[in-house]
Amino acid sequence: MSDLEAWRAKAAEWLVSVAPTFGRDARKGLSEADDLALGRRYQKAKFDAGYAGINWPTEYGGQGLGHLEKVTFDAEEMKHGFPNFYFGISLGMPVPVLMQFGSDKEFVKERVLKALQGEEIWCQLFSEPSGGSDLAGLRTKAEPDGNGWKINGQKVWTSWAHYSDYGVIVVRTDPTVAKHKGLTYFWVDMKAPGVTVRPIKLAGGDSHVNEVFFDDVKITDDHRMSPVGGGFAVAIATLMIERYVATDSAGFGPHLDLFVELAKDVQLNGRPAIEDGRIRQQIARNHAMRAGLDSINVRARLMMQAGMIPGPEGSLNKLVAVRSRQKLSELALDLQGGDAFLFDEHASQKEDWASSWINAPTGRIAGGSDETLLNTIAEKVLGLPQDHRPDKGIPFNQIPA
Amino acid sequence: MTILYDEGQQAIATESRRVLEARVGKDALLPLLETVGEYHRPFWDTAKEQGWTALALPEADGGLGLGLIELGLIAHQAGRGISGAPFLTSSFGAAKAIELFGSDAQKARWLPGLASGETIGAIAFAAGPDALPRQPDATVAGDSLDGTVRGVSAGLAADVAIVFANGPGTPVLALADLANARRAAVPSFDNSRLIADLDLSGLPAETLAVGSAARDAALRILALQAVVTAHEQTGGAEALMEIARDYALTRKAFGQPIGAFQSVKHRIAELYGLVELARANCIHAAAREGAADFITAAAAARLSATEAYDTAARDCIQIHGGIGVTWEIGLHLHMRRARSLAIEQGSSLFWEDVLVDQLAGEAA
Repeated sequence: MSDLEAWRAKAAEWLVSVAPTFGRDARKGLSEADDLALGRRYQKAKFDAGYAGINWPTEYGGQGLGHLEKVTFDAEEMKHGFPNFYFGISLGMPVPVLMQFGSDKEFVKERVLKALQGEEIWCQLFSEPSGGSDLAGLRTKAEPDGNGWKINGQKVWTSWAHYSDYGVIVVRTDPTVAKHKGLTYFWVDMKAPGVTVRPIKLAGGDSHVNEVFFDDVKITDDHRMSPVGGGFAVAIATLMIERYVATDSAGFGPHLDLFVELAKDVQLNGRPAIEDGRIRQQIARNHAMRAGLDSINVRARLMMQAGMIPGPEGSLNKLVAVRSRQKLSELALDLQGGDAFLFDEHASQKEDWASSWINAPTGRIAGGSDETLLNTIAEKVLGLPQDHRPDKGIPFNQIPA
Repeated sequence: MTILYDEGQQAIATESRRVLEARVGKDALLPLLETVGEYHRPFWDTAKEQGWTALALPEADGGLGLGLIELGLIAHQAGRGISGAPFLTSSFGAAKAIELFGSDAQKARWLPGLASGETIGAIAFAAGPDALPRQPDATVAGDSLDGTVRGVSAGLAADVAIVFANGPGTPVLALADLANARRAAVPSFDNSRLIADLDLSGLPAETLAVGSAARDAALRILALQAVVTAHEQTGGAEALMEIARDYALTRKAFGQPIGAFQSVKHRIAELYGLVELARANCIHAAAREGAADFITAAAAARLSATEAYDTAARDCIQIHGGIGVTWEIGLHLHMRRARSLAIEQGSSLFWEDVLVDQLAGEAA
């Protein structure tokens, strides 16, 4: 057994041991407040057991291991339905970027340790009402104010802002230069005067994302994490941190086995639906697609293990898996017929076809829309030209609204 | 478990690509489309000279003792360059049937020639759309065969065929020496595949397997061939994606390269996705030879590779506009090959059923 396999086995054993306390079954029927409280205890248990901050430096409370161990752990963890999603963004991007770019090391260390133990949560204040994919077009501004800055504007789609203690934010500090060049990166206290958080109820019924308003929010200059005008580079660095995350060829929807079981159970034209050619074709096509993604993911892991950088084909997972999950979920509801109408808006997207279906559009938009991902593949992998950009090189305040 | 190619395997890919790019081109392939009964001899001479015919056969039988992974790498390159003959797959299938299910005498009689490439093999299983029919067109009565198997790739040149036939109340996998077979050339849209209707009547039948064992054996041979073909399809799809990309970078319309239009660049990015899924499935399937889930892996590779090659042929021509449909540019060579490879060894309809039977735990 390789070292990694031994490590995986040990991690898997620990996860199984805590699953009754924190896993899928323990969460059934909990209010969101109770679920979050359980999540904080789970995060603390992970920290105590040595599975928090797996690939982070030990000086910040991490384990000092590699991406490979992190991805390996995540893949095992995913099996049990733990309440860890409250910390996914926090520990995925803002806190690592704070470690990298925060100036006051003692303050950073204190924050990181609290975040790793589930005591504090960080959010990422990037998207705005005027644009999500076009990040550099953001309008929230910070103006000099005494020795510090004053922030005004609005962010949106901010995951877990309503539970967050702190956030990282990109704002415009100079509207007279081209849009990428007038941005600066700060951290903010989400409890500061002038910060207002309003949850947004999404189509599926849940409210994980928020609008965040900034009205004359004053911060000192030591909140700054980039040079003035150098915020875009740190924003991109933030988005690149978790390039090799644990992926799911089911597109974070149900496993194909569940569809096969459904097709065996349901009668169509007087025989099991599994015998119907239309159903068979979709099963076969979905299996072939998912098997391809699985093979890509395994090879990426083998490459990391061999000290190589995985190929760009890893970027296909979200694009391919989520949109096919959307269609397969529709077909599963077709198969259920009238029985499909019974709807539980809190059901797991990994186990319930209606929940998977109604939340699938979010998956195709959040964290890089299908269209943005296709552009990225076309431009970065295949070397095709950028789209025509009428705002290129024009000072931000002269771009036609 | 899938694999990363090692240095030796990467060298096989690089070297075979170099040789094929030097020796196979559309100028030689285009005239073959209008000639019935001819294949691109320099391609096959190259395959023999480079040892590709022997690659995946056991050393004891005149082979080189490598496997599907290595043969797949060659097939991928052959697909990129639109190989000039179907024998890499058809002879491999026949040889594997003899290696796995033949007697020592049959192995001694046929395998050295198949390994050297001097002997050509063919697989004659299909009836219409069914790659493994419940009622095969060939029958075995006593020691001899009867019936005609239609649309057999390599059938015009084959010296030996593996036949899936109706025995007395049970299927039979049989070996047929084709020296005295009557064959009718089928003029096709891809003539260098050497498609023939094989009239087997009166040929001696040498039995390889009987009953459900015959069916299992035939499916295993089809799956082995399907993995080779899937590599070939993936190579073709990859080449078309690159051709489309290169054209979109140079061809201009409305003052910019057409690759700057999302309707074009997204189409090519989608091809990238199809090619990479097919490649990943091919690598996985080749590495699963001999494992319990080999049929499942082969079916997945075959389905994704067929989709990739057909789609790439469609879209690459579409991106070229008018020039794409001319004879001279030769994109139709890929379009034709995408279809002939989609049909040989069973179409997607066949492999979808095979795959679902495996996943649902039902007998085929």
